[in-house]
Amino acid sequence: MAELGRAALVLTLGLVLYAVAAGVYAAAARRRRLARSAQNALLAAFVSTAVAAAVLWAALVRRDFSFVYVAGHTATKLPLVYRLSAFWGGQEGSLLLWLLILTGFGAAAVLLDRRATRDLLAWVTPVLGGVAVFFAFMLVAVASPFATQAAPADGAGLNPSLQNPYMLAHPPLLYLGYVGLTIPWAFGMGALLSGRTDERWIVATRRWTLAAWMFLGIGQLLGSHWAYVEVGWGGYYAWDPVENAALMPWLAATAFLHSVMIQEKRGMLRVWNMLLVILAFGLSLFGTFLTRSGVINSIHSFTQSSIGAWFVGFIAVVIAFSLTLVFWRLPLLRSKTKLESLVSREATFLYNNLLFVALTLTILWGVTFPILSEAVRGTAITVSKPYYNFFLRAFGLPLLLLMGIGPLVPWRRASLRSLERTFLWPIGVAVAAGVVLVFLGGGSSSVGLITYTFAAFVTASIVFEFARGTRARHALAGGSWLRAFTGLIARNRRRYGGYVVHAAIVLLAVGIAGSSIYQTVRERKLRPGQTMTVAGYTLAYRSLQVKTGPNATESRALLAVSRGKSSLGTLGPGKNFYPVEQQTSNEVAIRSNLVTGEDLYVIADQINRDGSVYFKVLVKPAVNLIWLAGFVFVLGSVIALWPDAREERRLAERYGTAGAAVRA
Amino acid sequence: MARKRNPARLVIALSVAAVLAVFLLYTSIAGGGTPSLKPSQLAGHSGRVSLAGAVVGPVTGDAHQGGLHFRVKDIKGTESVVVLYVGSVPDLFKVGRHVVVDGRLKGGTFVAVPDTLVTKCPSKYTPKKS
Amino acid sequence: MNLALVLAALLAVALVLYVARPFLREPEAADDALDTPGADELRRLELAEERDRALQALRELEFDHRTGKVSDEDYRTLLGPLRRGAAEALRALDR
Repeated sequence: MAELGRAALVLTLGLVLYAVAAGVYAAAARRRRLARSAQNALLAAFVSTAVAAAVLWAALVRRDFSFVYVAGHTATKLPLVYRLSAFWGGQEGSLLLWLLILTGFGAAAVLLDRRATRDLLAWVTPVLGGVAVFFAFMLVAVASPFATQAAPADGAGLNPSLQNPYMLAHPPLLYLGYVGLTIPWAFGMGALLSGRTDERWIVATRRWTLAAWMFLGIGQLLGSHWAYVEVGWGGYYAWDPVENAALMPWLAATAFLHSVMIQEKRGMLRVWNMLLVILAFGLSLFGTFLTRSGVINSIHSFTQSSIGAWFVGFIAVVIAFSLTLVFWRLPLLRSKTKLESLVSREATFLYNNLLFVALTLTILWGVTFPILSEAVRGTAITVSKPYYNFFLRAFGLPLLLLMGIGPLVPWRRASLRSLERTFLWPIGVAVAAGVVLVFLGGGSSSVGLITYTFAAFVTASIVFEFARGTRARHALAGGSWLRAFTGLIARNRRRYGGYVVHAAIVLLAVGIAGSSIYQTVRERKLRPGQTMTVAGYTLAYRSLQVKTGPNATESRALLAVSRGKSSLGTLGPGKNFYPVEQQTSNEVAIRSNLVTGEDLYVIADQINRDGSVYFKVLVKPAVNLIWLAGFVFVLGSVIALWPDAREERRLAERYGTAGAAVRA
Repeated sequence: MARKRNPARLVIALSVAAVLAVFLLYTSIAGGGTPSLKPSQLAGHSGRVSLAGAVVGPVTGDAHQGGLHFRVKDIKGTESVVVLYVGSVPDLFKVGRHVVVDGRLKGGTFVAVPDTLVTKCPSKYTPKKS
Repeated sequence: MNLALVLAALLAVALVLYVARPFLREPEAADDALDTPGADELRRLELAEERDRALQALRELEFDHRTGKVSDEDYRTLLGPLRRGAAEALRALDR
């Protein structure tokens, strides 16, 4: 069956090459049937890629070790669900996943927008096809998932620490995000190629961008949660290049999400938006490349792989192509409207954009510095946590503050007097929160205090937005307060969904600040019977329990936890030893306080033969707010994504496609 | 009220200047980062560096008491250096694995900064660290 | 593995047919021109966007005023130019 897979991929390559060639000719010479044929080729490419994917999945389910890929990433004993997820466990499979999602999204974009954007779509088709050509070529000629061998008795297996639900969901979600950012970029390039100066491309891709951004955000959060509970060093983000690889496009996309709002409302920042979408897409390609090649010394990407050079070449081509287009169409892009006042919502969006881009570029610099310094000076110089933390604070804290300021400032212009009134309460709340925090001992860190105060300010600002809006709507429409509240959100889904997302970011900021700045760490070696205290918790080491399970030998150091006089149960941190893979894994024990969000995090760092254990205990305040933020983030994104019939009608009328389903 | 000069340009220019200033300030104060070296490149570097290489046995001692002793050699070579490490040892740590650890060379021994030992995963797409 | 090759061939034929479909359905097309908007329509689109922007700005000003974000005096100052802008956009569109 491997031949079917290989043939299907060759077919895909042929189809997308046709989509590019026919698509370009059809768009330039304005041929309707040929354009339609090129679009069909994109749809067909999805079908053939899906067939290839099905072949690989079937081989994984069947445990067909004659497939090199299956033997390399699964084993006979591996449960079904992890055999399925091994699809993206290796390089070839994850390239196939990229192509599958890309052709899938391409097909969806074509089908959904077919009637509405005929000329724009005529150019978008070959652009999407072009990206697909690269991935299809890699899969056919450089890294095929369908290499075969004489089947060995058993496969190499999957790293035990990857066998958990978070690692199931993390790569596909990230890929949905990375690939999703291709769509707005392709539409932007299509707009430049077709010479259209209107906002159609932004309107058409708004939901794509938002959805991709949401997936990218959730994917990262899941990855962090996995690192926290599975890898177990006590943290959730290590500024490793592969982690940054996903963060950078997400930050660029966040900037883009905000600045397109300005373009929609005021027609400004057209060139900036083009550059931003190119940056976001370029970074998502770069992110895929970082994770998959061995170019940067990261603990994730040790395999020096063949695809690195190809990726660099492709990214260079994409950037060059995009920038050339922007330069060519520069006269068309220049907007007529100007920024009226430095104190306006447009201005706060502009500042927020600058900060996001600055943060993205500093992270990019930190990630690429080792390669650059090696090329220039001969030794690779790495930067680590202090560098990233500094800039996260330098740019992140002003961003946090802006999140609270932005909603309070009206568009176009604001007089200082009206600002005084709207800002009074939120600033008051922030100052009060700051004072309370100092009393609670938060004054030990000025950064922590500032973060919490800003967070209080933003929270107050959001709450007031909802309150004011509900009150206005209630005064206007009557009915119950609840109806006014839901009606408010329903009529302004993007705005209030956005506010909910901001609330999620506030939770994230508080959680990160609390669990890093205000955490307590203690390390002690204990013999059975001994106790240690950390930040009010008392841990008494009772005994060491060793159990032999089907796959692993599990050692657990049982601790009785109490706080003051009340017992808080038992924790059992320890280690698992897997004889087949000859590997030990760390099993941390976490006790979460659901009221305060605090975690008691215990690592059995070293288990000695005499039964004594070296424990590392961390008390992390507010850390669970980070995971809570994930749920709120999704909620807000879904609200903002939700289709709005009234808006659809308005857009249909504008673009003269009344009666057709307009994707917005 | 149309202004002759677009204030946005001024804002952008000032902001870029401010960002660059912050960046330069940081790098001048905090230094440029840690060099990442192989054992064969260690000679002559006296400051804190990041050592990358493969673990060579025997591994003796206790990382939490007295220190763990092992050698690290060039991945593609034979030169090696003795390492003295105190702190958390990642689970993947084993003879033959590739590691990165921060520290400085003191009298022939690479004295590691506590808790900076990181082990790379062998060939699979997995992250593992301490 | 003949089955694999047969399936591949079938797939190829089906997909190529699908790609050729527009030409198979209309071997002789009376009008093969791609529906691209002319200069007129593009201008109309731009004006429509400006009109929508102006109308939305008015709506937002209204809302911001009602929720107290924009003071009475600011409202009075901003209302005039916005109304004029919207009226201009509507007039331009009618033309």
